[in-house]
Amino acid sequence: MKKLALAGLLAVTLSGCGSDDQQVLNLYNWSEYMPQEVLDRFQEETGIRVVYTTYDSNEAMYARIKLLDDSGQYDLAVPSTYYVNKMRNEGLLTPIDHSKLSNYGQLDPELTNLNIDPDNAYSIPYLWGTTGLAYDASDVGEAPVTAWADLWKDDYSGRVMLTNDMREVFHIGLRVLGYSGNSTNPQEIEAAYNKLTELMPAVRTFNSDAPRMPYLEGETDIGMIWNGEAVMGKADMPSLEYVYPQEGVIVWLDSFVIPKNAKNVDAAHQFIDFVMRPDISALISEDIGYATPNLAAREQLDPAVANDRASYPTAVDLEQSEFQEDVGDEALQVYTKYWELLKAGR
Amino acid sequence: MHNSHRQPFRTAVLVLVWGWLLVLVLAPNLLVVGTSVLTRDPLSFLSLPLTLENYARLIDPLYLEVFLHSLYMAAVTTVCCLVIGYPFAWALSRLSKRQQTLLIFLLIVPFWTNSLVRTYALKLLLATNGLINNGLLAIGLIDEPLTLLYTELAVIIGLVYLLLPFMILPLYSVFEDLRDELLLASHDLGAGRWPTFIHVVVPLTLPGVLAGVLLVLLPAMGLFFVADILGGSRNLLVGNVIKSQFLDARDWPFGAAASVLLTAAMALLLFAHRLSRRRLGEEAEV
Repeated sequence: MKKLALAGLLAVTLSGCGSDDQQVLNLYNWSEYMPQEVLDRFQEETGIRVVYTTYDSNEAMYARIKLLDDSGQYDLAVPSTYYVNKMRNEGLLTPIDHSKLSNYGQLDPELTNLNIDPDNAYSIPYLWGTTGLAYDASDVGEAPVTAWADLWKDDYSGRVMLTNDMREVFHIGLRVLGYSGNSTNPQEIEAAYNKLTELMPAVRTFNSDAPRMPYLEGETDIGMIWNGEAVMGKADMPSLEYVYPQEGVIVWLDSFVIPKNAKNVDAAHQFIDFVMRPDISALISEDIGYATPNLAAREQLDPAVANDRASYPTAVDLEQSEFQEDVGDEALQVYTKYWELLKAGR
Repeated sequence: MHNSHRQPFRTAVLVLVWGWLLVLVLAPNLLVVGTSVLTRDPLSFLSLPLTLENYARLIDPLYLEVFLHSLYMAAVTTVCCLVIGYPFAWALSRLSKRQQTLLIFLLIVPFWTNSLVRTYALKLLLATNGLINNGLLAIGLIDEPLTLLYTELAVIIGLVYLLLPFMILPLYSVFEDLRDELLLASHDLGAGRWPTFIHVVVPLTLPGVLAGVLLVLLPAMGLFFVADILGGSRNLLVGNVIKSQFLDARDWPFGAAASVLLTAAMALLLFAHRLSRRRLGEEAEV
């Protein structure tokens, strides 16, 4: 979902440069995380042109927003839960005006008013999803793949893919050892690092641009993937299976936030409300495979999507699952150190 | 009268050049050096007190290992560029002027496309079901696809591909200056092909070799996107460490220190280059 995000690093950021009479909304989002059709229809209905800029990690998004804090470069961004919390605490966000959001009441009560942002004062859920196991059924043979621990098997040496996401990779290391994926205990993080170093020789590549691609390209056969990527990947390669690992899948929620100095706060609210409309939210979920937090939208879903366990896990699938949380700056430093050790190790 | 016309123009050009250097070269570098001696701050990126700890951390075995491995990959890249570029530049300089112009034009054409896009294109060539593997399979040279993508080799191929012109161009310019009379004189004085090459051609083209090495070796350590795209984020370059310190760890002072290290290495090489030129110059005068 994060294709060419590197391009964003190198290229000069596109800023709204439309003609004066046309309103522009600068949306900063993960790549492949919003169907073009939605942007087109929004422009058709409101006349507001959406400029879509992409990132491939929460860290990159955060650094950019924090750095360009004063210039109000972006009107909307889509951080994951643990970054919503962080950005809210650091005063980087504009409060949401709920009176402008007619569709808010349709959101799943289980995904609103979370402790990362009580009363959703600063964030509105966009999509939620899971990071689980993927394997290419035509290449891994008969052995069933059921757990994160299976990645450590010799059979898959040199065929494993991990996401290029520090927290997610450490999450599986921690879970395999029976710890919480949100651990802040340096000893546990170190233990996870030691466990992950055993896996490293088998790892072919890290990818958070578009994690389905190494599977489709035939470079890797087993590893981590985001559920939406698994759904999109299966459309191109039917043998790509998505598995909820025994140790527990990683659950995340991405929410719209309005950066503090956003230039077009009204358009940002309009866009959030537009995306929360049941027909639009259903369209997004059907198109990119992640789950909508909108209950009214879920009722409108194509049954094939609604019953796809990859997009909409059952209660059993979510046993042992964990929500990603902010671990604080101190633990983050520990994670970062071991992450670099892990990647430089040979 | 000439002078009064020339002076304002000269002044304008000088102001422009110096202004450019000050604003776009000196100031950014000073900012980087300044950043490298500050302390990391989770909230505002940077804070006092001044410290040299960021430089001390560079000696950490982890970063030393990344640096050495990066240097190794850059050195292999440089040697490959030299091995390909030296005969290329020589051959180029022997062609007719028209052919030279055409070939140099072709050498420069790829620069019109963003290097990131060209790196993605290389990925399509090197992939398991990419052009190279499919081609080799089709003509029956291999039975199984080769593992090319996401390897050290892929990173080096990418670096050589991107940096080769920077080796060829300075070499071409020294070969251009290499006068045929000198080679003839060497032959007339009884030197065979090999002694002529070692004692005449190599010393006279050495400045070009050094310039090419300078233009390839250090940039090779910084092209982080090549390691990301072709190395599967596994074969890290110093550039990757700098990028991840700035973006992921938000440790700007340490990222800046690593960056200063590269700049210092470049300065050292430039200094060596100057020394060698001076020595060559003296020899020529003798």
